[in-house]
Amino acid sequence: MTRAEFLTRLKRGLAGMPASAITDIVADYEAHFADGLAAGRTEADVAAALGEPERLAREQRAEQGVKRWEEAKNPSAAAGAIFAIVGLGAIDILFLLPLLMGVLGTLFACFMAAIGIFVAGGAVTAVGPFAGQPGGPAVAFLLGIGLMAAATALAAVTTLLSIWLVNGLVWFGRLHYRLLKPAIETQV
Amino acid sequence: MTEAIEIQLKKGVLALCVLALLSRADSYAYEIASQLAKDIDMGEGTIYPLMRRMQSDGLVETYLVESQSGPPRKYYRLTDAGRDSFAAQKAEWAAFTAAVEHILGAAA
Repeated sequence: MTRAEFLTRLKRGLAGMPASAITDIVADYEAHFADGLAAGRTEADVAAALGEPERLAREQRAEQGVKRWEEAKNPSAAAGAIFAIVGLGAIDILFLLPLLMGVLGTLFACFMAAIGIFVAGGAVTAVGPFAGQPGGPAVAFLLGIGLMAAATALAAVTTLLSIWLVNGLVWFGRLHYRLLKPAIETQV
Repeated sequence: MTEAIEIQLKKGVLALCVLALLSRADSYAYEIASQLAKDIDMGEGTIYPLMRRMQSDGLVETYLVESQSGPPRKYYRLTDAGRDSFAAQKAEWAAFTAAVEHILGAAA
Protein backbone atom coordinates (compact mmCIF):
# COMPACT_ATOMS: atom_id res chain seq x y z
CA MET A 1 0.00 0.00 0.00
CA THR A 2 1.30 3.49 -0.83
CA ARG A 3 1.26 6.46 1.52
CA ALA A 4 -1.47 8.19 -0.54
CA GLU A 5 -3.65 5.08 -0.52
CA PHE A 6 -3.23 4.63 3.24
CA LEU A 7 -4.19 8.27 3.93
CA THR A 8 -7.19 8.15 1.58
CA ARG A 9 -8.53 5.03 3.29
CA LEU A 10 -7.85 6.53 6.71
CA LYS A 11 -9.73 9.75 5.83
CA ARG A 12 -12.64 7.76 4.46
CA GLY A 13 -12.79 5.85 7.74
CA LEU A 14 -12.70 9.04 9.79
CA ALA A 15 -15.43 10.85 7.82
CA GLY A 16 -18.09 12.28 10.11
CA MET A 17 -15.73 13.14 12.96
CA PRO A 18 -15.09 16.81 13.82
CA ALA A 19 -12.89 18.41 11.14
CA SER A 20 -10.24 19.46 13.67
CA ALA A 21 -9.92 15.89 14.97
CA ILE A 22 -9.56 14.50 11.43
CA THR A 23 -6.87 17.09 10.62
CA ASP A 24 -4.97 16.16 13.81
CA ILE A 25 -5.14 12.42 13.22
CA VAL A 26 -4.21 12.62 9.54
CA ALA A 27 -1.31 14.96 10.38
CA ASP A 28 -0.03 12.38 12.90
CA TYR A 29 0.07 9.61 10.30
CA GLU A 30 1.52 11.95 7.63
CA ALA A 31 4.34 12.80 10.05
CA HIS A 32 4.80 9.09 10.70
CA PHE A 33 5.28 8.43 6.98
CA ALA A 34 7.67 11.41 6.67
CA ASP A 35 9.76 10.14 9.61
CA GLY A 36 9.72 6.60 8.30
CA LEU A 37 10.85 7.64 4.82
CA ALA A 38 13.55 9.84 6.35
CA ALA A 39 14.77 6.76 8.23
CA GLY A 40 15.18 4.98 4.90
CA ARG A 41 12.06 2.82 4.92
CA THR A 42 9.72 2.39 1.97
CA GLU A 43 6.12 3.62 1.94
CA ALA A 44 4.87 0.04 1.71
CA ASP A 45 6.96 -0.95 4.73
CA VAL A 46 5.67 1.93 6.87
CA ALA A 47 2.06 1.28 5.83
CA ALA A 48 2.38 -2.43 6.63
CA ALA A 49 3.81 -1.66 10.07
CA LEU A 50 0.97 0.75 10.83
CA GLY A 51 -1.72 -1.79 10.06
CA GLU A 52 -5.07 -1.54 8.37
CA PRO A 53 -6.19 2.12 8.06
CA GLU A 54 -9.89 1.24 8.49
CA ARG A 55 -9.16 -0.43 11.81
CA LEU A 56 -7.08 2.52 13.03
CA ALA A 57 -9.92 4.87 12.03
CA ARG A 58 -12.48 2.78 13.94
CA GLU A 59 -10.25 2.83 16.99
CA GLN A 60 -9.92 6.62 16.81
CA ARG A 61 -13.69 7.03 16.35
CA ALA A 62 -14.38 4.88 19.37
CA GLU A 63 -12.00 6.96 21.49
CA GLN A 64 -13.74 10.10 20.28
CA GLY A 65 -17.20 8.73 21.11
CA VAL A 66 -16.12 7.64 24.57
CA LYS A 67 -14.49 11.01 25.20
CA ARG A 68 -17.69 12.83 24.31
CA TRP A 69 -19.64 10.62 26.71
CA GLU A 70 -17.13 11.31 29.48
CA GLU A 71 -17.48 15.05 28.91
CA ALA A 72 -21.27 15.23 28.67
CA LYS A 73 -23.56 12.57 30.10
CA ASN A 74 -26.50 13.03 27.74
CA PRO A 75 -28.52 10.58 25.64
CA SER A 76 -26.96 11.56 22.31
CA ALA A 77 -23.42 11.16 23.66
CA ALA A 78 -24.45 7.80 25.14
CA ALA A 79 -25.77 6.62 21.79
CA GLY A 80 -22.60 7.89 20.10
CA ALA A 81 -20.33 6.03 22.51
CA ILE A 82 -22.30 2.80 22.20
CA PHE A 83 -22.39 2.92 18.40
CA ALA A 84 -18.70 3.78 18.16
CA ILE A 85 -17.83 0.77 20.30
CA VAL A 86 -20.25 -1.44 18.43
CA GLY A 87 -18.47 -0.19 15.28
CA LEU A 88 -15.26 -1.68 16.62
CA GLY A 89 -16.94 -5.03 16.61
CA ALA A 90 -16.17 -5.14 20.31
CA ILE A 91 -19.77 -5.76 21.30
CA ASP A 92 -21.91 -8.10 19.31
CA ILE A 93 -24.99 -6.01 18.59
CA LEU A 94 -27.21 -9.03 17.95
CA PHE A 95 -26.38 -10.44 21.33
CA LEU A 96 -26.67 -7.10 23.05
CA LEU A 97 -29.74 -5.59 21.39
CA PRO A 98 -32.53 -7.60 23.07
CA LEU A 99 -30.83 -7.21 26.43
CA LEU A 100 -30.25 -3.51 25.92
CA MET A 101 -33.82 -2.92 24.72
CA GLY A 102 -35.18 -4.53 27.87
CA VAL A 103 -32.99 -2.48 30.15
CA LEU A 104 -33.58 0.75 28.24
CA GLY A 105 -37.34 0.08 28.21
CA THR A 106 -37.33 -0.38 31.98
CA LEU A 107 -35.30 2.78 32.52
CA PHE A 108 -37.62 4.70 30.20
CA ALA A 109 -40.66 3.41 32.08
CA CYS A 110 -39.09 4.52 35.36
CA PHE A 111 -38.57 8.01 33.96
CA MET A 112 -42.16 8.18 32.74
CA ALA A 113 -43.40 6.96 36.13
CA ALA A 114 -41.29 9.58 37.87
CA ILE A 115 -42.77 12.31 35.70
CA GLY A 116 -46.29 11.01 36.31
CA ILE A 117 -45.85 10.86 40.07
CA PHE A 118 -44.30 14.31 40.06
CA VAL A 119 -47.28 15.79 38.20
CA ALA A 120 -49.71 13.99 40.50
CA GLY A 121 -47.82 15.31 43.52
CA GLY A 122 -48.01 18.82 42.07
CA ALA A 123 -51.74 18.48 41.58
CA VAL A 124 -52.27 17.20 45.13
CA THR A 125 -50.19 20.06 46.52
CA ALA A 126 -52.10 22.67 44.53
CA VAL A 127 -55.64 21.31 44.75
CA GLY A 128 -55.58 19.12 47.89
CA PRO A 129 -55.71 21.85 50.53
CA PHE A 130 -58.93 23.24 48.99
CA ALA A 131 -60.64 19.92 48.26
CA GLY A 132 -61.65 19.33 51.87
CA GLN A 133 -60.21 15.86 52.01
CA PRO A 134 -59.77 13.94 55.27
CA GLY A 135 -56.86 15.10 57.43
CA GLY A 136 -57.16 18.73 56.46
CA PRO A 137 -55.21 21.04 54.17
CA ALA A 138 -51.81 20.55 55.84
CA VAL A 139 -51.86 16.76 55.30
CA ALA A 140 -52.84 17.14 51.64
CA PHE A 141 -50.08 19.70 51.13
CA LEU A 142 -47.44 17.48 52.76
CA LEU A 143 -48.66 14.44 50.81
CA GLY A 144 -48.22 16.36 47.55
CA ILE A 145 -44.71 17.51 48.50
CA GLY A 146 -43.88 13.95 49.53
CA LEU A 147 -45.03 12.56 46.17
CA MET A 148 -42.94 15.11 44.29
CA ALA A 149 -39.87 14.31 46.40
CA ALA A 150 -40.36 10.58 45.78
CA ALA A 151 -40.67 11.22 42.03
CA THR A 152 -37.47 13.29 42.06
CA ALA A 153 -35.65 10.53 43.92
CA LEU A 154 -36.91 7.92 41.45
CA ALA A 155 -35.75 10.04 38.51
CA ALA A 156 -32.34 10.54 40.14
CA VAL A 157 -31.87 6.82 40.74
CA THR A 158 -32.93 6.07 37.16
CA THR A 159 -30.43 8.62 35.84
CA LEU A 160 -27.66 7.06 37.92
CA LEU A 161 -28.53 3.59 36.64
CA SER A 162 -28.50 4.84 33.05
CA ILE A 163 -25.06 6.39 33.52
CA TRP A 164 -23.74 3.18 35.09
CA LEU A 165 -25.16 1.18 32.23
CA VAL A 166 -23.37 3.22 29.57
CA ASN A 167 -20.15 3.32 31.60
CA GLY A 168 -20.36 -0.43 31.95
CA LEU A 169 -20.76 -0.86 28.20
CA VAL A 170 -17.82 1.46 27.55
CA TRP A 171 -15.69 -0.43 30.04
CA PHE A 172 -16.65 -3.78 28.59
CA GLY A 173 -16.08 -2.59 25.04
CA ARG A 174 -12.65 -1.18 25.83
CA LEU A 175 -11.57 -4.24 27.74
CA HIS A 176 -12.83 -6.55 25.04
CA TYR A 177 -11.21 -4.48 22.34
CA ARG A 178 -7.83 -4.03 23.97
CA LEU A 179 -7.41 -7.51 25.32
CA LEU A 180 -9.26 -9.86 23.04
CA LYS A 181 -9.25 -8.28 19.59
CA PRO A 182 -5.48 -7.92 19.29
CA ALA A 183 -5.07 -11.46 20.51
CA ILE A 184 -7.43 -12.80 17.89
CA GLU A 185 -6.21 -10.69 15.00
CA THR A 186 -2.74 -11.19 13.68
CA GLN A 187 -0.39 -8.51 14.88
CA VAL A 188 1.12 -6.51 12.04
CA MET B 1 -1.99 -19.83 23.33
CA THR B 2 1.24 -18.48 24.81
CA GLU B 3 1.27 -16.04 21.91
CA ALA B 4 -2.14 -14.71 22.90
CA ILE B 5 -1.01 -14.24 26.49
CA GLU B 6 2.09 -12.42 25.31
CA ILE B 7 0.08 -9.99 23.17
CA GLN B 8 -2.35 -9.32 26.00
CA LEU B 9 0.50 -8.59 28.38
CA LYS B 10 2.07 -6.19 25.91
CA LYS B 11 -1.20 -4.36 25.34
CA GLY B 12 -1.67 -3.93 29.05
CA VAL B 13 1.72 -2.40 29.68
CA LEU B 14 1.87 -0.23 26.56
CA ALA B 15 0.61 2.87 28.37
CA LEU B 16 3.06 2.24 31.21
CA CYS B 17 5.95 1.93 28.72
CA VAL B 18 4.99 5.21 27.03
CA LEU B 19 4.87 6.98 30.40
CA ALA B 20 8.28 5.52 31.26
CA LEU B 21 9.87 6.66 27.98
CA LEU B 22 8.44 10.16 28.40
CA SER B 23 9.58 10.35 32.03
CA ARG B 24 13.16 10.04 30.76
CA ALA B 25 12.89 12.59 27.94
CA ASP B 26 10.25 14.36 25.85
CA SER B 27 9.72 12.59 22.58
CA TYR B 28 7.65 12.45 19.41
CA ALA B 29 5.28 9.70 18.32
CA TYR B 30 7.51 8.14 15.65
CA GLU B 31 10.40 7.82 18.09
CA ILE B 32 8.15 6.31 20.79
CA ALA B 33 6.55 3.95 18.27
CA SER B 34 9.84 2.71 16.81
CA GLN B 35 11.32 2.28 20.28
CA LEU B 36 8.37 0.16 21.40
CA ALA B 37 8.23 -1.71 18.09
CA LYS B 38 11.91 -2.59 18.48
CA ASP B 39 11.91 -3.47 22.18
CA ILE B 40 8.58 -5.16 22.73
CA ASP B 41 7.51 -5.88 19.16
CA MET B 42 4.50 -3.57 19.23
CA GLY B 43 2.38 -2.62 16.18
CA GLU B 44 3.40 0.94 15.27
CA GLY B 45 -0.12 2.15 14.53
CA THR B 46 -1.27 1.43 18.09
CA ILE B 47 0.61 4.42 19.41
CA TYR B 48 -1.58 7.17 17.91
CA PRO B 49 -4.95 6.29 19.45
CA LEU B 50 -3.10 5.73 22.73
CA MET B 51 -1.37 9.14 22.60
CA ARG B 52 -4.69 10.86 21.88
CA ARG B 53 -6.32 9.08 24.80
CA MET B 54 -3.47 9.95 27.14
CA GLN B 55 -3.66 13.55 25.97
CA SER B 56 -7.41 13.79 26.56
CA ASP B 57 -6.92 12.17 29.97
CA GLY B 58 -4.43 14.94 30.75
CA LEU B 59 -1.42 12.64 31.23
CA VAL B 60 0.64 14.16 28.41
CA GLU B 61 0.70 17.50 26.59
CA THR B 62 2.14 18.47 23.23
CA TYR B 63 4.33 21.26 21.92
CA LEU B 64 5.74 21.95 18.47
CA VAL B 65 9.44 22.05 17.66
CA GLU B 66 10.68 23.50 14.38
CA SER B 67 12.54 20.98 12.26
CA GLN B 68 15.07 21.66 9.49
CA SER B 69 13.22 19.42 7.08
CA GLY B 70 9.47 19.50 6.69
CA PRO B 71 6.77 20.80 9.04
CA PRO B 72 7.32 21.36 12.80
CA ARG B 73 7.36 18.20 14.84
CA LYS B 74 4.88 17.45 17.64
CA TYR B 75 6.62 16.53 20.89
CA TYR B 76 4.94 14.95 23.91
CA ARG B 77 5.84 15.64 27.53
CA LEU B 78 4.40 14.34 30.78
CA THR B 79 2.08 16.58 32.81
CA ASP B 80 2.12 16.51 36.61
CA ALA B 81 -0.86 14.16 36.48
CA GLY B 82 1.12 11.99 34.03
CA ARG B 83 4.07 11.83 36.42
CA ASP B 84 1.77 10.87 39.32
CA SER B 85 0.08 8.23 37.18
CA PHE B 86 3.49 6.83 36.13
CA ALA B 87 4.66 6.56 39.75
CA ALA B 88 1.42 4.81 40.76
CA GLN B 89 1.40 2.39 37.79
CA LYS B 90 5.09 1.61 38.23
CA ALA B 91 4.53 0.68 41.87
CA GLU B 92 1.54 -1.47 40.89
CA TRP B 93 3.59 -3.18 38.19
CA ALA B 94 6.47 -3.87 40.61
CA ALA B 95 4.12 -5.34 43.20
CA PHE B 96 2.35 -7.44 40.57
CA THR B 97 5.48 -8.85 38.94
CA ALA B 98 7.02 -9.55 42.37
CA ALA B 99 3.91 -11.53 43.30
CA VAL B 100 3.93 -13.46 40.01
CA GLU B 101 7.64 -14.22 40.31
CA HIS B 102 7.11 -15.40 43.85
CA ILE B 103 4.43 -17.82 42.67
CA LEU B 104 6.52 -18.98 39.71
CA GLY B 105 9.51 -19.50 42.02
CA ALA B 106 7.40 -21.49 44.44
CA ALA B 107 6.06 -23.66 41.62
CA ALA B 108 9.52 -24.44 40.22
